[in-house]
Amino acid sequence: MIKITNLQKYYRTEEVETVALNNLTIHVKEGEFVAVMGPSGCGKSTLLNIVGLLDDLDEGSYLFNNIEVAKFNERKRSDLRKHNIGFVFQSFNLIDELTVFENVELPLVYTNVPAAERKRRVEEVLEKVQIMHRRNHFPQQLSGGQQQRVAVARAVVNTPKLILADEPTGNLDSNNGNEVMHLLTELNEAGTTIVMVTHSEHDARFADRVIRMLDGQVIMETTTF
Amino acid sequence: MIRNYIKTAWRSLLKNKGFTVINILGLTVGLSAVLIIALWVQNQFRQDNFYSNQENIYKVLNRYIVDMSTGQSTPYPAADALTENHPEVEYAARVYRHWERLLTFKSDGIKAYGNEVDPDFLKIFDFPAIKGMREDALSNKTNIVVTEGLAKSLFGDEDPLGKTITLDNEKSYTVVSVLNDLPTYTDFSFNYLIPMDRDPSNWNTMSYSTYVSLRPGVDIEVFNEKIEPMVRTHAPDLKNNVNFLYPLSRIHLYSKFENGVAVGGKISQVRLIAGIGLLILCIACINFVNLSTAKGQKRAKEVGVRKVIGASKGNLVGQFLTESVIISVVAGILAIVASFLALPLFNQMLDKPLSFVTTGPLVWLILLGFVIFTGLLAGVYPAFVLSAFQPIKTLKNIKVSKKSNFSMRSVLVVLQFGSAVVLIIATLIIHLQIQYASDRDVGYDTSQLLEVALEGKAVENYETIKNELLNSGFVTHITRTGQTITQNNSSSWGNFSWQGATPEQSKKTTFFLTNAQSDFIETVGLKLVDGRDLDYPRLPSDNRAILLNEAAIKTMGLENPIGQLFNWGDEVYTIVGVFSDFVSGSPYSEVEPMLVFSWIDNLKNMIIRTDNQQAMNKTLAFIESTVKKFDPAYPFNYRFVDERYAEKFKNQQQTASLSLTFSLLAIFISCLGLFGLISYITETRIKEIGIRKVLGASVSGIASMLSIDFVKLVFVAIIIATPIAWWAMNKWLADFAYRIDIQWWMFVLAGLLAIGIALFTVSWQAIRAAVANPVDSLRDE
Repeated sequence: MIKITNLQKYYRTEEVETVALNNLTIHVKEGEFVAVMGPSGCGKSTLLNIVGLLDDLDEGSYLFNNIEVAKFNERKRSDLRKHNIGFVFQSFNLIDELTVFENVELPLVYTNVPAAERKRRVEEVLEKVQIMHRRNHFPQQLSGGQQQRVAVARAVVNTPKLILADEPTGNLDSNNGNEVMHLLTELNEAGTTIVMVTHSEHDARFADRVIRMLDGQVIMETTTF
Repeated sequence: MIRNYIKTAWRSLLKNKGFTVINILGLTVGLSAVLIIALWVQNQFRQDNFYSNQENIYKVLNRYIVDMSTGQSTPYPAADALTENHPEVEYAARVYRHWERLLTFKSDGIKAYGNEVDPDFLKIFDFPAIKGMREDALSNKTNIVVTEGLAKSLFGDEDPLGKTITLDNEKSYTVVSVLNDLPTYTDFSFNYLIPMDRDPSNWNTMSYSTYVSLRPGVDIEVFNEKIEPMVRTHAPDLKNNVNFLYPLSRIHLYSKFENGVAVGGKISQVRLIAGIGLLILCIACINFVNLSTAKGQKRAKEVGVRKVIGASKGNLVGQFLTESVIISVVAGILAIVASFLALPLFNQMLDKPLSFVTTGPLVWLILLGFVIFTGLLAGVYPAFVLSAFQPIKTLKNIKVSKKSNFSMRSVLVVLQFGSAVVLIIATLIIHLQIQYASDRDVGYDTSQLLEVALEGKAVENYETIKNELLNSGFVTHITRTGQTITQNNSSSWGNFSWQGATPEQSKKTTFFLTNAQSDFIETVGLKLVDGRDLDYPRLPSDNRAILLNEAAIKTMGLENPIGQLFNWGDEVYTIVGVFSDFVSGSPYSEVEPMLVFSWIDNLKNMIIRTDNQQAMNKTLAFIESTVKKFDPAYPFNYRFVDERYAEKFKNQQQTASLSLTFSLLAIFISCLGLFGLISYITETRIKEIGIRKVLGASVSGIASMLSIDFVKLVFVAIIIATPIAWWAMNKWLADFAYRIDIQWWMFVLAGLLAIGIALFTVSWQAIRAAVANPVDSLRDE
């Protein structure tokens, strides 16, 4: 599903150029659950952003479902993103002005799904993450674990083929963290590909494969089962 | 999608209450100004531009080839000549304006202004009638048409039709028609119309306004060529006269002519005020732009999230525009309420009372247009800035709005304060100029001086009245004149000569004319410079005596004026006295040459200097009872000269109050914006402030650090505004001969004022941020 070859990514400021990712090659198969680990600043979040088409790459090739997307413009990327990729962030990133229901509904609004269909799908996914009873609450009224469950619901409501999770349990206690990890595992078992950046060895054990990075390069890959 | 936009926008506005209130308040003030100004502008454009046959109605004007001036009066026979000789003319009607006349019904009398008109007047102008006939109402010489208001005050609730009204206790008329009260948007001002009844032969006196309606399809340029020589062929004296028709609808706004060509007029004031209204709206829009982009940092995360989950740039632009349109719609609704409340205040300032009731749908359409336009205008820049945020940066909390020294925001603040400074300087100079003119020495003591109208039998009994008043002890001096001394209503030129006058002088010197009886100089309180006062009828030869003012002597170049002869056409007069100059015309002009004749006809203005030892109410009561002995039918009509003189400042006072009002509004909106801006900026710099405090910065140091950027911007605004204001105000002052010079300290004062206001606005927030406990701002890291 994801074939990234010889990826180079630099960050430039006025005087300094920093190499963020250096000649990196990664393949992820459909249905896989991959964890990316490494110390702070090793480039794992940058990698995730490039995979999620939020950031562009400077050199190399990126095939998404066998389509070269490295040179896609903003509009095409946005199109591909909204139909294929769901995001889960460490800090949840829910919109404070919208209720639980509306937050989850938003991706469907942007893909012009009719209202009745939206309602059905949002309710279905809220049931799945067991937050249906809080559907009319605003994010500030929920606990961290509940917020992350909403964020997961929002990520999957469009039934994306790929979910990208950036330290999804980073802001949660272990109970809530485990709940979210189980949720992701379930989604993976149902066929969704997941790439997750994490610091936690415990979380990484839920993945099929762990990629370890250092200074913008992959230094080790392990299969966990 | 749109429902989603509205919902999100609404909640976001509720969440950022401070921002929302500042924006709505600013836009409300801006839109109210626009609404009231639109109402006034519409009224100006509607002026005599609403008759059903509008496009064919013209006024007959004439221009003089010699001095290129254009006049609006015509001789009496012109109307008949037009209808008889030109089949293109459908109707022609003369209008002769009456001064106040006494109208009596049974024993009740009131004074009112009216017009004497030809019967076709009501065919040309379709003023609607509520009762009686309309088009043929004036076909009978004893008919009178009255307005609803006059009918009410004369007849109360009785049916006015068929009632008899007596005019000036002389002639009786029968009411045949009642018209609606005149709208505010016509330059006609009459309470009654009576049929024209005057000497038809005179081509030499230009006392009438003539209106015509042409048949449809007449080429006006061709027609104007035909009538060009009309007056001069009949009146050889007026050989320099050229006639032309001018569209009635353009008279009000475009009646300033140069060589017969319209070069503007009231339209320039309309443009100026409309411009100021738009300027205020722009200042309000700038607030919106500045605050929206300033709080962009706060909303950056939301933009990022939305983009990540699939929002396109178009979606986000749509969302932010919805927000700004909602703000402007709310502001628009509040503006309607605010204008309703503020309208009476503006009506006091403006010469035309405005009303929302009589306004057509146009003003509302304009408001709607402005609301939507403002929403889009104010929203479009922030919408594009915010929607262009890169999601990856916003989600990582990287600062998205770069802090540069020369940002769009700075430019806008400079623009805003620059406009405010121009308005401050303008207001200051207008007020100083008016103050300067009103402090001007009038040339006589205006206090304790009364003017009383003599009417009916009182005119003949002037000498008796005079003696009774002087003997009473209430009054120290009395004279009577042909017109008020506070105005110059009559002037003439071209036909005067005196010893030593060059042909150029005889032809070009303009004299203001008035006539008076004895004791003129003493009563008014002028200084007798040379010779003596008029003393008619005691000296019968004084019917050929004249007085001149110093300005006249100077212009004429006379060395020993007393006893010299002065010719006006074939008439010969003797100069008997010279009096000191006094202001009778515009207080902004130099004193012009003035001539006082002693003609005794039409001496209907009694000037009375009262004794300041007596109580004014008793004095007035005594004068009233004395005058009423001789003309009981007339209401006692008196005016204080100082009040009348003060009216000269009404027009400029109006400009002054308008400029003051608009300046205050502009400053208010600018300060709102500045307040909002400093609030957001202290919020985004809160961590920096905390660190500085931990490292030992003082409260005053931090407060001044936060304020100094704004003071710099206001300073730049002053530098830019100064030359613009200097240029504009020089142009404005050029219209006054008696005027102040623009001084450097006026700009300094305005500048200090602007900086003071800006500093006051920002310092409160800056100090608040500076005294905050640094632990609070650093803890949430």
